[in-house]
Amino acid sequence: MEYIVETNQLTKRFGKEIAVDRVDMRIPKGEIYGFLGPNGAGKTTTIRMLLGLMKPSFGSVQVFQKFLNEDRLNILKKVGSLVENPSYYPHLTAYENLEALRKVYGIPKSSITEVLELVRLSDVGNKKVKGFSLGMKQRLGIASALLHNPELLILDEPTNGLDPSGIIEIRNLIKRLPAERGITILISSHLLSEIDQIATTVGVLNKGHLIFQDTIERMREYSKQKVLLSVSDREHAWQSLVAAGIKAELHNGMISLKEKSDEKVAQAVRSLVHNDFSIYRVEEEKGSLEGIFLEMTTEEKSL
Amino acid sequence: MIGKLVAQDVLKIKRKGIWFLTFLGPFGVVALQMVNYGVRKAYLLQQSDDDWAYYISNVSAFSPFALILGIAILTSFMASIENETNGWKQLTALPVSKMAIYLSKFTVLVMLLFLSSILLALFSLSYGVFLNLGDEIPYLELLKYSIYPFLASLPVLALQLWVATVSKNQGIPITVGVFGVILSYSAYVLPDWMIWKWPSLLNQWNEPMINVLFGLTFGAILYVIGMVDFMRRDVK
Repeated sequence: MEYIVETNQLTKRFGKEIAVDRVDMRIPKGEIYGFLGPNGAGKTTTIRMLLGLMKPSFGSVQVFQKFLNEDRLNILKKVGSLVENPSYYPHLTAYENLEALRKVYGIPKSSITEVLELVRLSDVGNKKVKGFSLGMKQRLGIASALLHNPELLILDEPTNGLDPSGIIEIRNLIKRLPAERGITILISSHLLSEIDQIATTVGVLNKGHLIFQDTIERMREYSKQKVLLSVSDREHAWQSLVAAGIKAELHNGMISLKEKSDEKVAQAVRSLVHNDFSIYRVEEEKGSLEGIFLEMTTEEKSL
Repeated sequence: MIGKLVAQDVLKIKRKGIWFLTFLGPFGVVALQMVNYGVRKAYLLQQSDDDWAYYISNVSAFSPFALILGIAILTSFMASIENETNGWKQLTALPVSKMAIYLSKFTVLVMLLFLSSILLALFSLSYGVFLNLGDEIPYLELLKYSIYPFLASLPVLALQLWVATVSKNQGIPITVGVFGVILSYSAYVLPDWMIWKWPSLLNQWNEPMINVLFGLTFGAILYVIGMVDFMRRDVK
């Protein structure tokens, strides 16, 4: 498989603390790689090393199958990035901000109007960025990252601080890119729901360790949701369900159904009602990121 | 690569009042002489046979001080433009070397200060002509006393740029700058080896050229030290 980003034993140490520990990241071409992890897991540090903003303490980074420490400038010509909060010059207009970058890339001016259009900032292109809302600044940051038509786009928490409509807008924009422009995307987030909706491949970082790296489908298997029933006389209710051939478990005073298709849930409810049990609640327990982390880390230990 | 970065840096200093300061510095220095000569022209003209030389020495009593102050303010401004929203990370993620980034900042500052020096020569000349100091205008001396202090101040520029770019807290370069200004103000009593004395063109051998050569040499050395340190550091 052709990997756009490949790290080998990538490690970063700050004094005694190890922020990133022997990470072997693999991003296949054309994928949206969701880089997941709680705050402080080392995501941003990893991304900084991918861009050469920080030097690894150990290990290597390959982008486009070239070593970053040898070919940094050629690699960066084809990489667009937005690391943490967008950097911009508030005293300049949106257009001038992009113009400053354009000068360095040496690309035609038409690309500025193009990206402004893409992130829907054309109307405010001549306004100073000082007065922009957070969402507009974030969009300007994405425009800066896309200005030179990169082949790899690195977005670090691009939806941080955005309102729901802003998040949806950015998400749709990101989703469109691989198909329209053939871009490979690395997007980091601490929200599983965020990654779940756009990523095709997922890497999970926890305390500097890459504890999971596979397709989103495999990830979803980890985050199986449960349907929980709160009923009267639960012991008997559970027994009656099992007797009716429905796979269920009893724990924490709730009955949890193993099969959670609509049909199966309806069947279970019907059976309970039929047997005169009172149903207080039928709820879905969403697999939280924490829960999945716990599962993953415990699994790692048991291995 | 460096040309593109300089063009970028020139764009970025727009609307920051940097161009205005570049003009204000030399204007302020000559304006002080406007007050001086405005109040006691007759007395000042009596002080010397060579009115032009005496006028130039009056102007250059304040120019080193203005220069050091200007360096402190401009370098801090330049750094704050990037520090404001951490532009350093965006800049470093561009396909340019960190060496070029640093060189570009230095180049733009040198350009601005050089422009200031040229303006100083022009303003001094204009006011001198206005004062009617004599028909034999010493163009070379005027230029010399405008450009030499600038060249002799390059180590201060290199030092300030270094401190400003690597400090997260802009209080540090400002403090260093204020000390520099105070030191340059007391240039007469400073030992010859102190870089803040050099723009005054004073030394025990009475030869301004020595300060210029020292300025160029130590400016280059301090520049390289600053650049290497800047390149070595991780971008936060």
